[in-house]
Amino acid sequence: MIAPLLQLQDVSLCLPNGGREILSHITYEVQRGDFVVILGSNGSGKSSLLKLLDRRYRATSGHLLLENKALGSFAARPFAQAVRTLTQDCHDSLFVSMSIFENYLLICEQFQARFHFIRRKHARLRLAAYLEPFNEKLANNLDQCVADLSGGEKQTLALALAVCYPPRILLLDEHTSALDPLTAERLLLLTRDVVAQHGMTCLMTTHDLVLAEGCGNRILALRNGRIYQTIEAVEKRALNQQQLLAACY
Amino acid sequence: MMNGLLYAVLTQTLTFLPLALGISISYTLMRATDMTLEGSFVLGAAIFARLATLGFSPYIAAFCALAAGSLAGVMVSFIQRGGRVDPLLAGVLATFILTSANLILMGRPNISLLSQATLVSSAFAQSDTLGWLSVAFYSIFFCMLGCALVATRFGLRLRALGDNPALLQRLGAPLERYRLLGFAFTNTLAAAAGMLTAQTVGYADINMGFGMTLTGIGAIILGQQVLRRILHSARFRVSAEFIACVIGVAMYFMALNGLLRLNIDPIYLKMLLGILLVIFLRTALRRSALAGGISI
Repeated sequence: MIAPLLQLQDVSLCLPNGGREILSHITYEVQRGDFVVILGSNGSGKSSLLKLLDRRYRATSGHLLLENKALGSFAARPFAQAVRTLTQDCHDSLFVSMSIFENYLLICEQFQARFHFIRRKHARLRLAAYLEPFNEKLANNLDQCVADLSGGEKQTLALALAVCYPPRILLLDEHTSALDPLTAERLLLLTRDVVAQHGMTCLMTTHDLVLAEGCGNRILALRNGRIYQTIEAVEKRALNQQQLLAACY
Repeated sequence: MMNGLLYAVLTQTLTFLPLALGISISYTLMRATDMTLEGSFVLGAAIFARLATLGFSPYIAAFCALAAGSLAGVMVSFIQRGGRVDPLLAGVLATFILTSANLILMGRPNISLLSQATLVSSAFAQSDTLGWLSVAFYSIFFCMLGCALVATRFGLRLRALGDNPALLQRLGAPLERYRLLGFAFTNTLAAAAGMLTAQTVGYADINMGFGMTLTGIGAIILGQQVLRRILHSARFRVSAEFIACVIGVAMYFMALNGLLRLNIDPIYLKMLLGILLVIFLRTALRRSALAGGISI
C-alpha cells in the first residue's frame, strides 16, 4: 500500500507563551493527487493549518509527515521545492520591486542544480513561452516591474512562478479572494488546469461554496480549530451548495 | 572662483564616491540603514595611516584597510544575525565598537600623512592634476568593482534580500550568508573611501566619519530623484544607481562648498546643509509625485 503524501497525526497549535489553542488534535491524511478544499468560518484555523504545512508555524504537539518524513527534517531548499504557497497577498509570493524576468531568474537559480549557469537569453525565451498560456501580456513584458502589474496579473504571475518547478504540494490560502469575480474565476480555472496538468497535490482554503463545489475532490471543514467534517470524493459529488453549507458550517 | 568651486566639488566627490556607492548598495538594494559604514570609513583611514606611519608599503596598508572594512561588515552582520538585534541598532552598536577600535589602532585622535608615502603621493609630487587623476583611478576602480557586483546574480540576490527576505528564505536561500557578504562588501567600499580621503586631505582623524552615512543617504535619495526626473523611469539599472550616486554627492558638495565660500559660520553649516537637503528632497519628491503618482 502506498503511504499518504501528507500525514497530520494529532497535531495541535497554540499561540506563543501559553496562548489559546488555534488548532486542536488534527488527524488527517492527504494522498498524492488529492485536491483538498478546506472550509470553515473566520478564525476556524484554516490559514493556520496551511502555515503549519508551510513551516511558518511550528506545531505545539503531534506529527506532520511528508512522504513519511517529519516536515521539520527537510532542508530549506528541498522543502521549498516540495511545498509552495500562494496567499491572497501576492506580495507574499513575489519580489515586487523587481521585474517579471528577475523574479523568474531568482526561482530558477534556487531550484536548478548548483553551478548550473543559466543563460539569460535562453531563460527569457523559455519564460516568454512558459507565460504565454497564463497571460499574454506578462509574456510580452518580461522587463516590467511587478509593482506596476494589476492585482490579477500579479496573482497570475505568482501562480505561474509557484508551479514553474512543479512542487509536490501546492498550498492555496484564499488566493483569489482579493480579486474581482471574473479575474478570480479565470485564475481558478488556471489553477485547476496546472494542478491537473502536473498531477500536483493541492490544499486550498476558501469561503466560496461555489469554488468548493466545483473544485477539488475532498473537503475538510474546520470549526474552532478542530475537524468538524470531512467529505470524500464520492460523497462530495452528490452534494450541492446548500447541502455543503449545511454540512460544513 | 567658479573654477575653484568646481575643482573642490570634483575632488571631494571622487573621494566620497566609493562610500556613497556602499551606502547605496546597503540602503537602496539591501534596504538596510547600515550606520557601521561611517565607522568603517574611519577604520579604513585609521589603518592606512597607522601602517603607513609604521613604514609599511602603501599597498600593504591599503590591503589591510580594505580587509578591516570587510571585517567590520562581517561584525555588524553577526550582531544582527537571525534578526535578534534590530539592523539600525546593530549598526549603531558596531559604530560604538569601531570608535574605540579606531582610537586604539591610531593611538591618538589624529595621524598626519603629509610626509608619508601613500598610493597617490608620488603622483601628487609631480603635479596636482596627476595626483587627482590617480585618486580618480582608484575611486573609479572601487566603484566599478561595486557596480560589477551589483550587476551579477549575487547583486540580484542582494536586491531580493532587500525586497522580500521572507520569500527568499522560503525559497531556501541562505539569507545570513547573503547579508554577511553584502555588508562585508559595502563596508569595504566605505574603508576604501576613508583610505582615499586620508591620503588626499593628508591626515586620518577619529571624527572624520561623523554623520557620513546619513549625509550619504540624503545625497543618494536626492540623486535618485533627480535622475528619475530626467529618465522618467524608476526601473532598476546598475548604471542609473551609480549615476544617481554621482549626481547626489556632487550636489551635496556643491551646496557645502557654496556655503563655505559665502563665509558662513561653521557652527551653522550642518544645520543649513540639512535644511537645504530637506528643501531639495521635498522639491524632487513633489515633482516625481506629480509625474509618477508617488504619495508624499
